[in-house]
Amino acid sequence: MTPDEPTENLEGAGPSDRGRLMPPPPSIIWALGIAVTGMIIYIARGLVLILLLSMGLAYVINPIVKRAESVAIKRGLAVTGLYLGIVLSLLVTAYFVAPLLRAEISTLSGGYPAFTQRLDETIDAVQEEIAIKYPSVGQLFPAREARYERLNDFIKEQTADLPSLVGHLATIAIAAAFVPLFSFFILRDSPKIIAFTMDRLPPAEIETSVAVWCEIDRVIGRYIRGLALDGLVIGVAASLGLWMLGVNYPLLLGAFSGLANVVPYLGPILGGGVAMLTALMQFKALTPLSNVLILYVVIKLLDDTVIQAQTIGKSVHLHPMLLLASVTTVGHALGLIGMILAVPAVTVIQEIIKLFLERRRVRAGVSGPYSGKSVYIQPYVC
Amino acid sequence: MSGFHWPSWTIDPEQLRRLQFLEKVPLFAGLSRRQLGKLLVKLFEKEYGAGETIFLEGEPGKALFIVLDGTVSICRAGPGGEHRLATLDPGAYFGELALIDDHPRLATARAEEDAALLILYKSHFDGLIEGNSTIAIRVMGNLLKTLAGYVRMAQAPSANHNPATIPASIAALEQNRTPAEGTGR
Repeated sequence: MTPDEPTENLEGAGPSDRGRLMPPPPSIIWALGIAVTGMIIYIARGLVLILLLSMGLAYVINPIVKRAESVAIKRGLAVTGLYLGIVLSLLVTAYFVAPLLRAEISTLSGGYPAFTQRLDETIDAVQEEIAIKYPSVGQLFPAREARYERLNDFIKEQTADLPSLVGHLATIAIAAAFVPLFSFFILRDSPKIIAFTMDRLPPAEIETSVAVWCEIDRVIGRYIRGLALDGLVIGVAASLGLWMLGVNYPLLLGAFSGLANVVPYLGPILGGGVAMLTALMQFKALTPLSNVLILYVVIKLLDDTVIQAQTIGKSVHLHPMLLLASVTTVGHALGLIGMILAVPAVTVIQEIIKLFLERRRVRAGVSGPYSGKSVYIQPYVC
Repeated sequence: MSGFHWPSWTIDPEQLRRLQFLEKVPLFAGLSRRQLGKLLVKLFEKEYGAGETIFLEGEPGKALFIVLDGTVSICRAGPGGEHRLATLDPGAYFGELALIDDHPRLATARAEEDAALLILYKSHFDGLIEGNSTIAIRVMGNLLKTLAGYVRMAQAPSANHNPATIPASIAALEQNRTPAEGTGR
């Protein structure tokens, strides 16, 4: 290097280079990339939700396809055969269960015009029962007219946004049509999608990058399959319990409880709440209401201690506070489906962060939690 | 599987080829066809071009690799540049220590010519053995035999150390040995 060079460089960086923009640091590019991706996901959230639900369904079905693949059966053939089998099973189930469900739904919809009247009568009856048993509490209840007015206002408020309700129903109808279709293609072509992605990764990065995907796949697969099985068990238990208690629409209420159960924390409250409301309107008394409450508390306790341990297990390693915060936040952004997807989404983020931290630790030469320092090494081997 | 055979038009020839290949891999010796099938669906197949790096020394180990086609060289950086520790042919496996712990890789693996590898990730292996104790016992038993062989070779007189025949992992371990360790405690 000659003494002139710095001068030349300085001169070169003069008026012409000063205006030239330097590329931003990688952290800024990453942050921008994440922000843009997040925005695209938010804008196309309808399609994203359908895709995520399709992936969820594919996760539930995938073990059966894998079983067929393990005896070298063609994947496409296995998926097609399985879908045909599912359609056939649904048709058979519909043939036997549909008349029962249809009867429940038609009774329910037929009784809708008298709904407010029945609700009013129920509240009257319960108030009366409480007032007889606990006179001091009974004095606290509002007059019937005031309550009737409030109830009417509430119903008007809830039914005022009819276009939005129709929109939601349309989304559900579209999802019902597209989710099975998308999941079929995801199941059939997932090995090709994985191979395509792996071919585009730098070869030396494949091991660590795909390892994250494998861990996410394992955790989420277990969680979703466990959740589906858990919902099924809850649904059957609730249906049986409600049928034994003589509550109307046990199949519908059980199915709703099973479905609602996929929403962490709020699902069981929602399922139990609807069943209790139905029991309250049917019997207009406190005792059957408390029976239903006991039934749902018992189911919840069994779910937490026995059923979940067998179905979901410890597949998701999230702190309860983080779990609750993620359900609330994602639920606020994406609604009910967001609540269901919150846990897998946070798990994905957690696994990616874990990988980055591990790589940083290894590159910095810092030992991890399972490093050799924690392992007893014999001074000899013989 | 023993009594029933699926019609030939339902069988995926590639998958069958991989299944038959796995039967010959020493790490999976003793596993039944059914157990090998369970293992097979956990594997990824990846092709590497000649000279492409499979993993780098010092990176976290996450998977076991089985050479399906082609050859792979295991190298390690030294004072005089990188030198080869072993060359692996179809049927050989490497990176097996990743199934045991999460230590950084001891050596670099590189495709010497165009190669196809089967990759078994630790998380998938852990998932598989959780519900299949027989697979766990057989594979871990085979792995322990291999490791015991490595230890014996490492402690044998240096005259027996032919670089062409030393397993990759032990060759890498050999590079790490201090004189005190080398003389045997």
